[in-house]
Amino acid sequence: MIVTRSWLNEFIDLSDVSNEKLYKTFNAIGLEVDSINQIEIAEKVVIGKILSCEKHPDADKLNVCQIDIGSGTRQIVCGAANVVDAEYVAVATIGAVLPGNFEIKHAKLRGVESEGMVCASSELGLPDMGKGIMILDESIGELEVGREFGTYEKVADTIIELELTANRGDCLSIYGVARDLSAALDIEMKPFEYKQEEKMKLGIAREAEIHTEGEMDADLCYKLATIDTISNSFLLQLRLAMVAVEAEGKLAKILAYATHTTGVVLRAYESSAFINGEDKIVVRAKASSKGIIEVAGKEKVVSVVGVYQDEEAIAKDDTKKLLLEASYIHPDTLVEAVADSALKTDELYYKTSRGSNPDLDFGLSFLASLMDRYTDINCYEGSLDVKVERENEKVIVDAKEISSIIGMDVELSKIVTILQKLGFEISSMGDHIIAVAVPLFRHDIKHIQDIAEEIVRIIGINHIEAKPLVFAEEPRLNDTTDRYKAKKSFKNRAVGAGFYENVSYIFSERAVLKQYGFSIIEEKLELANPIAEELNTLRSTILINLLGAVKRNVSYTKKSIPLFEIGAVFGSRREQSEVLSFVFSGQVSNENISNAGKPKMIDFAAFTQKVGAVIGSFELVPCTYENGLIHPYQSADIIIDGKVCGFMTKLHPTVQEAYGIPETFIAEINFDTLLPKHINAEPISKFQGVYKDLSVVINKSINYYEVAKVLNRLELPMLKDSYPVDIYEDEKLGDKKSLTVRFFIQSMEKTLEESDIESVMSQIMTALEKECNAELR
Amino acid sequence: MKELEEKILQADSLETLEKVRVELFGKKGVLAAQFAKMKDIPGPEKKAFAEGLNKNKAALQAKFDAQYELLKAQEIEKVLKSEAIDVSLYGTLAQKGALHPVMETMDKIIDYFVALNFAVESGPMVEDDFHNFEALNLPKYHPARDMQDTFYFNDGGLLRTHTSPVQIRTMMKTKPPVRMIAPGSVFRRDYDLTHTPMFNQVEGLVVDDKGKVSFANLKSILTDFLQYMFGDVEVRFRPSFFPFTEPSAEVDISCIFCKGKGCRVCSHTGWLEVLGCGIVDPNVFKAVGYEEVSGYAFGLGVERFAMLMHKIPDLRSLFEGDIRLLEQFR
Repeated sequence: MIVTRSWLNEFIDLSDVSNEKLYKTFNAIGLEVDSINQIEIAEKVVIGKILSCEKHPDADKLNVCQIDIGSGTRQIVCGAANVVDAEYVAVATIGAVLPGNFEIKHAKLRGVESEGMVCASSELGLPDMGKGIMILDESIGELEVGREFGTYEKVADTIIELELTANRGDCLSIYGVARDLSAALDIEMKPFEYKQEEKMKLGIAREAEIHTEGEMDADLCYKLATIDTISNSFLLQLRLAMVAVEAEGKLAKILAYATHTTGVVLRAYESSAFINGEDKIVVRAKASSKGIIEVAGKEKVVSVVGVYQDEEAIAKDDTKKLLLEASYIHPDTLVEAVADSALKTDELYYKTSRGSNPDLDFGLSFLASLMDRYTDINCYEGSLDVKVERENEKVIVDAKEISSIIGMDVELSKIVTILQKLGFEISSMGDHIIAVAVPLFRHDIKHIQDIAEEIVRIIGINHIEAKPLVFAEEPRLNDTTDRYKAKKSFKNRAVGAGFYENVSYIFSERAVLKQYGFSIIEEKLELANPIAEELNTLRSTILINLLGAVKRNVSYTKKSIPLFEIGAVFGSRREQSEVLSFVFSGQVSNENISNAGKPKMIDFAAFTQKVGAVIGSFELVPCTYENGLIHPYQSADIIIDGKVCGFMTKLHPTVQEAYGIPETFIAEINFDTLLPKHINAEPISKFQGVYKDLSVVINKSINYYEVAKVLNRLELPMLKDSYPVDIYEDEKLGDKKSLTVRFFIQSMEKTLEESDIESVMSQIMTALEKECNAELR
Repeated sequence: MKELEEKILQADSLETLEKVRVELFGKKGVLAAQFAKMKDIPGPEKKAFAEGLNKNKAALQAKFDAQYELLKAQEIEKVLKSEAIDVSLYGTLAQKGALHPVMETMDKIIDYFVALNFAVESGPMVEDDFHNFEALNLPKYHPARDMQDTFYFNDGGLLRTHTSPVQIRTMMKTKPPVRMIAPGSVFRRDYDLTHTPMFNQVEGLVVDDKGKVSFANLKSILTDFLQYMFGDVEVRFRPSFFPFTEPSAEVDISCIFCKGKGCRVCSHTGWLEVLGCGIVDPNVFKAVGYEEVSGYAFGLGVERFAMLMHKIPDLRSLFEGDIRLLEQFR
């Protein structure tokens, strides 16, 4: 919503209110100021009167004007075609410096002397008013030849753009904004009075009538008028340009101006659209359904109240007899009805859907006053009305409750004053209780907290003293808080291990997920209105996002790319879970002095070590996951506490190639399985233990985890630990390999004797011989 | 004596000093020979002789010890010197990653509220109309729904447009009083320089007995919170409109770039909008079946906080895993 200071001034006296104060007040009362633009007209731009205007002898498109600028007559050559229609114009005289540092100097145009320039609006820093120069009239004030143009307040105006919240339809007009200001600044509104000149005694009823059908929930008011000529004042055109309201044609401009001023929705019809066989104007208003009120003429619907008007029925500038309409419909009813219909809406719908001004008389009177001034109009007496009985919303307001909502004592008298200024009607109900009748234009106010909001707005939040809340302490740690803390700790460990945290959209591309064999959402549960094809589904893995990030980083010439992300992924039925995903691409470390500028590339061992530094100890067994990113021979299930909780793999070379990235390892782990568990300490032996190595020859196809399984099954109390330390293959061994395992043997009860150690080792060897066909090397 | 002292002082390595030690103090050394003479000294002079000898021995021992310390120190110094490296070569070796600035900002926000006895709550990202809109006093066709361009699914489900549905879920599963924050990702169908289809919010809700929670309380906690986050800033509350709160306000801080003088970042207003808040609308309490309660709620965009706090110019870069950005936060 754009307003101007001088326009507001028509309804509220702002002469003692500075722009600074205006800006502060608007923000304080919830009408957020988007921008303030103070128009400044250059000096030496003055009112000129054109005494004569002749064609330039040598240029068809130029006119040579003699212009009185107060201090004398100047000859000025003007290129604008419309100068021939002008009497009073704005003249930039010699020495004036226009926007863009354009100084007016003596000039010779095609041999003719020119001492100044006749100005168009944009040349002076005013909003663009269309082609040609400005043709001035008294609408901006008395035109005194030679007076500085910038001294006209209505020209050197302040344009203020307000960002209105969705509930404030009442401020979608100059009048409405002025009313809010009036309450905030404690300045009375100027009354609007208009008495139509009696040019015609004919009553409207002689020529027109209205019929309604069905339950009317819209107010309508029609006036009939005849028009000879129609014109727009300079001010009207200037202001419409200032508030960026566009309207085609002079009549449309007048209607737009009146609507912007009053907030009342106004339309004009060709009366012929309603004339029936008996030469009578018959308006038929029909409620076709709740909230949809059709206005029909002789043969068809010419408009739907609050929604649109049929192009053909719209009165034009040359319409001689026209029907003016003011309408109001409650926005809640309208919006729901329109959403359920397939009706197209026009530019007035924004106003009607947010609540236009229900004071139809005011709208029509204001329109009539405008037309009276600038248009040769004759209005028939009286009007055709459809009026809906509307009950004002009633709210019982207890000053104590208001005070407790705000947290500050507010006296009842203060509440009454504020509400009255805002147009509420008050009746007393007791000591600190009042009944408040909400004006129809504030359809958004329904209960006491809405009233509290009005009080807060006008008092100003910055006048409310901050008070800390006193509350009863209570343990509020819960699973979510614990989970959040755990997540934070994993993140910190990942950072310590050298990974950067990635945050990516939870979206992915369905085709890509499918291509790599990840789960996709069932069609009937899929996103209906994705924003782009590459974001057309919810991701079932973070790895694709991470690979995208790797690719970007490669293009930024990064050589070592370690990333992790903890985030949501979705199953085929859209079930949400959380995973921790890693990617490590390229060099295992940066180039530095210790690797002589030639760091190794990431490999399975280094990647495992880094992931382990984050998630703690785990076992690896051959991978059971299946997707297109997995390398068939360098991939593993990650097992924690005996449960599979994710996988890690070298990125499949074809994918690596497709992404154009160096050697890459990835891992994805179900975050739930990582949550910290309760741990009980085991007793530590007081006796010395020993390390023993055992080298066995086994089949190449036997993985270490199978050996480990055998060892675990033995459940030897003295065998505290075992781990592989060497693997050896050569031609002599053929399809066998040599595996060296280190054992730690310790007793809880006594110092080990050689026989104890031998017993443990022989049990191990026997088991391995039996179950893995192992031979001692 | 002098001669012997000279010998000690002339030893220029621990090895020669050791030789001197043997020569002087050894079993067959000079001193031992001197002591051996004792038996030939007659009784009365014996004492004086022994005293003189002991004195000399102690003096020599002191000299020897001092020389030993000196040579030992020289020896260590030599070893140390031989191990000398240019330490400045190694400064770039540390390989630490970094938390994402948005997540780190989120942590800072959460830490503040947890310290004030707020619980952390969460809810699903895929929501339904009731929790995301209806229960929050956003009936169908409410014009405020236009503000939130929503992602819908074929079955009518939607991606939450704010973290507010977590308020609804929490209230529906617990009895008042409530003191919670809900951090999390939210989604709107918007993609340009200043909008991404996903961003992060932190939402707060406090509910207590009727008449207990006021706008003045909201002002108190948010003013303190913003000064905790942004340091010494002015905080301004402007009345605004949100369907789920009434009265509602938007909260600005004085521009941290120009100190309120007006610059490009604050559109020359001197203020930066950072929060929305208000007193919970009675219709919200009605929807969750709460009676005789009062409460406040607030919500903020984490990316905006992170961008302001760390002067990050481009919103979209936050979602690209760009190490050039991330490594600045190591």
